[in-house]
Amino acid sequence: MLLLLALPLALTFYLSVRSCALQMEVVTVTESSPFGTKEVVTQRAVLGPDGRALSVCRFVGLEYFRKVLGLDADVAIQAGSSAPPDAGGSPAAASPQRSTEFIGALRFTLLYTFATTPFVLLLGFALALGVNQVGQRWRPMYISASLLPFIITPVVGALAIKWLFRDNGLMPYFLSQFGISLFWMAQAWSARLLIIFYGIWHVVPFAFIVFYAGLQSVPQDSLEAARIDGANAWQRLHYVTLPHLAPLFVFVTLIHLMDAYRVFEPVVVLTQGAFTTSVQYLTYYILLQENNPYKASAAAVLTTAGIAVLLVPLLMRTWKEQRRGG
Amino acid sequence: MKRPSRIWSLLLHLVLLGWVLLACLPFVWTAVISLRQYVDAFSVPIKWLAPVTFENYSRLWIDKAFYRNFLNTAIVTFSTVTVSLSVGCLAGYALSRYRGAVGFWLLLTALVFRSLPHSTLLPSFYVMFDALGIRNEFFTLILVLVAINQPFTIWMLRSFFVNIPQELDEAALVDGCNRFQAFRRVIIPVMWPGVVTTGLFSFLLAYNDFLLSSSLVNAERMTMPAAIANAISAGSEAFLMQGVAGAVSITIPLIILVLFFQRQIVSGLTQGAVKG
Repeated sequence: MLLLLALPLALTFYLSVRSCALQMEVVTVTESSPFGTKEVVTQRAVLGPDGRALSVCRFVGLEYFRKVLGLDADVAIQAGSSAPPDAGGSPAAASPQRSTEFIGALRFTLLYTFATTPFVLLLGFALALGVNQVGQRWRPMYISASLLPFIITPVVGALAIKWLFRDNGLMPYFLSQFGISLFWMAQAWSARLLIIFYGIWHVVPFAFIVFYAGLQSVPQDSLEAARIDGANAWQRLHYVTLPHLAPLFVFVTLIHLMDAYRVFEPVVVLTQGAFTTSVQYLTYYILLQENNPYKASAAAVLTTAGIAVLLVPLLMRTWKEQRRGG
Repeated sequence: MKRPSRIWSLLLHLVLLGWVLLACLPFVWTAVISLRQYVDAFSVPIKWLAPVTFENYSRLWIDKAFYRNFLNTAIVTFSTVTVSLSVGCLAGYALSRYRGAVGFWLLLTALVFRSLPHSTLLPSFYVMFDALGIRNEFFTLILVLVAINQPFTIWMLRSFFVNIPQELDEAALVDGCNRFQAFRRVIIPVMWPGVVTTGLFSFLLAYNDFLLSSSLVNAERMTMPAAIANAISAGSEAFLMQGVAGAVSITIPLIILVLFFQRQIVSGLTQGAVKG
């Protein structure tokens, strides 16, 4: 396990400060034909003794970090202007605007994380309270139905939402009955809203299940005692149930922060990176579209730093509480 | 406990039904339009009823050879679950019986890797496997999925093992088992529900993975979610409808899973939480 996880992580750090390129040589090729002889100067890759192309690797320091962070603004612009101007619709056309790639990706990732968390906690808790009130025989039905969005393949879930909100789809039609007409995928804010909506839809069931299980373990005699002492429903909730569930709120928040930080599939599916990128999407895009593992590594290292900054205070707090409690 | 009044209870059911509708609507609607031609699926105004056709499915499964992706998924998920459970059981058992600081640090490492976005490992996997010449192999994908799954599996299985009293091991040892026999014949049968639950979650991880299977293997070895992602940018209408049919095909096994294993999934989700 250590070999397969720690080694790649270390390798990522190593790769992020290096760059490899095929070693090229300038050759003069003499072409002879019935129409005369001409010399063409061209470049070709140097082949090693085993017949493979040789590549030169060198230490580039923080160059890729600077690129990913958008600090080398002039380089980014150069790269943009050298792209063919008629490449409309191809991924290359979108890349010039990504000069401040990582910051933008991080900003949306954090927005997503902090926009979804309160909804996930509140809705999950409300649902748990609700299901806890209904009769025993209805509960499995509600739980089963709620589990579906959670265990669905994220790509499929995001696609289903996309088709629902697509032009001529069900939701635009439904909303147009109320006078709202909107092309959901066409603007940045509505596409982002859809991603956040997807996130809430996807994670609420998890919070719901955890809180529901927690509600089962609330000591009944404490509730009984509170009722006898004249507490109303709200007071019982506030003074007995909520303190009992407090650790679960921390737990759900922690897990959701980890998961939200790696939001990826809805970004791929709903916007294809046109308006929004998330940090995970950025690495994936650089690796597969720009085909540059070294730059992707730089993005990956920044991603790691980001999650560390986000989680360390929380983990420290939990750790301290655990020690005090134990 | 006082029974809540009738109106209150009815209202509650209405709200919950509203949630169920919201939760299921995307699937239900996707399933409905998967049985239609494009013009009926996306039309203004919406058609509630339209001629039913299985053309999308037949195109996808037969002409586009989606069954191959299905087989790929089956191979990858089955192997991932098997390997990660075998390793996870041994490691989880050892960790639960071992008292010392190293165990704690291992668990902490597992948690740290649990929180890492998978994409941070992707570039180095990519380069490493390219250098070794094993990038486009099932074996590689399975290995990576197992590795990524492992922290979670070990963590979860350990919490199940801890609940099994040490006396059970000792009884087996006194009766003449060696360590491994005690584990194999006494502990594992008791553990079975925990193993099933953990297996379910490894299954979900491998089945639902998109990031790794879409980037580490080529088209002919892709799993279903990676293959279906082509429908994202679907230019043509027929292609889009095949994507819809594919989405439904991926979801059906999951629905069956929920119906059969609801209890295990719920217990798995709450395992880490309630035990604190």
